[in-house]
Amino acid sequence: MAQINENGVENTVTINDNVETIKSKKRKATFTWYIFLLPSFIGILLFMAYPIVESFRLSFFKSNGTIESFIGLRNFQLVLTSKTFWNTVWNTFFIGFFQIFITIPLGFIFASLINSVRRGQNFFKVVYFLPNVTSIVAAAMIFQFVLHPEMGVANYALNAIGLPTSTWFSDPSTAKWGVILLAVWHWIGFVIIICLANLQAISPEMYEAAKIDGASGLQQWLFITIPNMSGTFAFLLITGWIGSLQRFNEVYVLGGPNGSPARSIQTMGAFIYERGFTGFEFGIASAATYIMFVIILIFTFINLRVSRMQL
Amino acid sequence: MDQKTSERISNIVKFIILLVCGTLLMMPFVWMVSVGFDRTANITMPFPPRLIPETISNFNYGIVFENGRLIKSYINSGIVTTSSVFLQVSASLLAGYAFSKGNFKYKRLLFILVLCTLMIPMEPRLIPLYTLFNSFNLLNTFWPLILPTVINGMLIFLCKQFFDQLPTTLREAAQIDGAGEFRIFFTVYLPLAGPIAATMVILSFIWSWNDFMWPLVVLNNQDLHTVPLYLASFSLENGTSLGGLTMALATVSILPIVVLYLFLQRYIIQSIALSGVKGE
Repeated sequence: MAQINENGVENTVTINDNVETIKSKKRKATFTWYIFLLPSFIGILLFMAYPIVESFRLSFFKSNGTIESFIGLRNFQLVLTSKTFWNTVWNTFFIGFFQIFITIPLGFIFASLINSVRRGQNFFKVVYFLPNVTSIVAAAMIFQFVLHPEMGVANYALNAIGLPTSTWFSDPSTAKWGVILLAVWHWIGFVIIICLANLQAISPEMYEAAKIDGASGLQQWLFITIPNMSGTFAFLLITGWIGSLQRFNEVYVLGGPNGSPARSIQTMGAFIYERGFTGFEFGIASAATYIMFVIILIFTFINLRVSRMQL
Repeated sequence: MDQKTSERISNIVKFIILLVCGTLLMMPFVWMVSVGFDRTANITMPFPPRLIPETISNFNYGIVFENGRLIKSYINSGIVTTSSVFLQVSASLLAGYAFSKGNFKYKRLLFILVLCTLMIPMEPRLIPLYTLFNSFNLLNTFWPLILPTVINGMLIFLCKQFFDQLPTTLREAAQIDGAGEFRIFFTVYLPLAGPIAATMVILSFIWSWNDFMWPLVVLNNQDLHTVPLYLASFSLENGTSLGGLTMALATVSILPIVVLYLFLQRYIIQSIALSGVKGE
């Protein structure tokens, strides 16, 4: 087509015209499709791409938003040698680890129970999922009272059945466990719903075959259900870690920007908030966000590898 | 016969386990409501904790509503949530449709770009977005809360999946009748998109109503605080000293979401399971 266009301009006028209109029509059609995408891509450029690039640039500057000076890698050096920062990394991973490795097995067990119980499936779904839709901010406030060391209902119940009580949020040594409890409570509904959706997708023929072979309910669960759920577990593991590494809302409500008591529940997100918006050290905060970003990427990659999840 | 009875017993046992654990899970909510209605709780928490208040009174609720800030924050959250839901859902419908039925250069590449946005957390974007809106003098307005929600990779993805299921023959028929792309979208496909639009409205409503970190950064003016911000500031100011008031406030703050959830739970659960996304 293009050759006709270049070489035979004069004697193929009509064909040439045709080619032009089809081409321009196509171009016009493509253009229309781009209009469909326009709002989203303005959004991506302005609110995703630009901030990521700008944040990278800022991490090499000393900046408070108005006055900037280039200082090279000093922000990164400052963050990476800061004990406070590594403490937040430790807190974030500690809370995330226990949240994930308590919630996924527990949620899966509940999902299996809900899936196999004859009556009240819908009722249980509603009850178990409710915490997940309510805001984590309100949930954190409620837990402040539920886990109150002296007046809280949790300690009272523990005491009543003869179990040791805890100081929860009022003591640095136990505050993290309070957050973990809250996180488990808030996330478990999500894990249950995702597990349920996937449990119902396992083909019933496998169970029938196993039944004929004489497998008990528990055996079926161990040797059919669990292996078939590995993809779901991988998904929960990855989304769970991505969410955990960004934890901010509940620890801010419970401990303020510096995660009191004694920075015991300050997360990476809270560190960034503290440096960025209470100290207005934008450069340091940006360097920290990039370190956090890299941690999330590496960790997601490792998780993908470990869980052998196929994207 | 024997197997039947054992199955029955195991069923009952499972049911009881679920009931007990479910009750434990609901405990924080139950206690929240109870303390909120307790006349004494605004001064000190009752001890030993009781599940039924000694005297049920709306004292705490009276104070919470009299103080105009709660209602103000409700209005603010209402404005932000409706606008952001509208913007997000419209943009996602348009983009999802284009990625499903469209035929243009770089379609795959652009779609991958959309999916990449799912992996970008809020934190690295916080400061640049803050300075961006600052330079347009839009801090302490609702614009920063509304405009960035225009892009949501998850919703675009869901939308594309939905349109993929709709037949392409509809398009071809309309094309033969001479309809342009926009006409086809608005008159043929959009009316069929009800279920996915409803799902997206629910999801984005929950996300937007519960959003916390970004509003916290952008809104310093207390008059503009959304519900979660007002809650958090109340909690940080009063700590655990005003139990009853705080719990009454928490109850009122989660009420819209709980009501929405109870009415639409089947669809919410379905769409969460479908999208597999964490609603925070």
